[in-house]
Amino acid sequence: MTSSSAASRKALSKIACNRLQKELVEWQVSPPAGFKHKPTDNLQRWVIEVNGAPGTLYANETYQLQVDFPEHYPMEAPQVIFLHPAPLHPHIYSNGHICLDILYDSWSPAMTVSSICISILSMLSSSTVKQRPEDNDRYVKNCRNGRSPKETRWWFHDDKV
Amino acid sequence: MEMQKQEGLLTDAEMESMTSVQASEVDDWANFKDNDIMQQQSAILAEEAEKIPFVGDKEPLSSLEAEYQSGSIILLEKIKVLSEQYASIRRTRGDGNCFFRSFMFAYLEHILNSQDRAEVDRITANVEECRKTLQSLGYADFTFEDFFALFLEQLESVLQGSEASISHDELVQRSRDQSVSDYVVMFFRFVTSGEIRKRSEFFEPFILGLTNATVEQFCKSSVEPMGEESDHVHITALSDALGVPIRVVYLDRSSCDNGVVSVNHHDFTPLTGDLPADAATVGGPEPINPFITLLYRPGHYDILYLK
Repeated sequence: MTSSSAASRKALSKIACNRLQKELVEWQVSPPAGFKHKPTDNLQRWVIEVNGAPGTLYANETYQLQVDFPEHYPMEAPQVIFLHPAPLHPHIYSNGHICLDILYDSWSPAMTVSSICISILSMLSSSTVKQRPEDNDRYVKNCRNGRSPKETRWWFHDDKV
Repeated sequence: MEMQKQEGLLTDAEMESMTSVQASEVDDWANFKDNDIMQQQSAILAEEAEKIPFVGDKEPLSSLEAEYQSGSIILLEKIKVLSEQYASIRRTRGDGNCFFRSFMFAYLEHILNSQDRAEVDRITANVEECRKTLQSLGYADFTFEDFFALFLEQLESVLQGSEASISHDELVQRSRDQSVSDYVVMFFRFVTSGEIRKRSEFFEPFILGLTNATVEQFCKSSVEPMGEESDHVHITALSDALGVPIRVVYLDRSSCDNGVVSVNHHDFTPLTGDLPADAATVGGPEPINPFITLLYRPGHYDILYLK
């Protein structure tokens, strides 16, 4: 599904391209702790390795985030999902979609890939139980046509986890 | 499903309004809550808002009167009072950015009309201070520099006599062009956020009065994201950071006890020079005549023009 949504995506605007190049350089100089950018020649799609923080439920586990940038990044939020298999977490669906406000309604151009990563790691680290969201099956079924998580109407009812 | 037919043609703003339309696709109607209906209403409002350009044409104040023709007597009376002092209004889109958008246009238009180079030098120095503020707060340069550059470019272009100079018509066009207009709005959001964080002790009690959030949370959730509406806190911070006085005229249904209809206004007067942050509360600086006047109706700002 992710490849189809990326295929329909427009190329980066000039300003988005410049910004991402700067962001990538900054990432290479000081990557957020626990994350590794896997180098590709595609500036518009980053694949990032996430290591669960020591002392948390996800210690010694490695996952992959896929970040797709829209034409008007950073005015528009990037699309961020976990590649299969997604971590078992009350806010992460089995199709990799993440229920986290800053990826949707609360996105701001002041944020960066790095700040997103830190938020996602903090979300993982504060989890006390390894389980899927209650509505996982219904939601994933509704996404079968390849819907992007950015088209979902998210309810952010719980900011503790 | 409408969603699929239009795929690929949607702008992000439309996408936002689409997300709530999905409520009607939910197969389980028992889960359809009041909240969904409210979301749908806000989607309809968002769609309505997009029919208005970011910045409209100048209209005579009588167009405001026409809006309330079958409505409140108090409002009509107040508009009559307004029309003694003000000649026209310029509307902005009600997309949550209307305060910043109104400020952007009113300020650049003032510079275009006045060609006040001293004012441009003054604000440019303040913009540089804002840049340092953000840096000292830990913002990476690449996150804000494009927005700063775009604002300074607009400022430069409204000054006449260079190759980059633009006419009033072009200023209107640029203010309606999302790739310019939204970047300048975001520039103001950076400036506002930086000022609030820099003087967090000053702003904290006001923010606690609005929400339960910390200064940091407030900036992250109510200042920096596009489309978040502005309150007194935002206006105070922007006015202080740039050193630009702003008059806000209030048009609401409140009436006075003595039965005489009057229209209230509030002047946001920036701190001057190196006055300590708390100087605003004790005495305050000399009154300055604001060259930016905005009309506030609950939830929305437009630009007002003096006669």
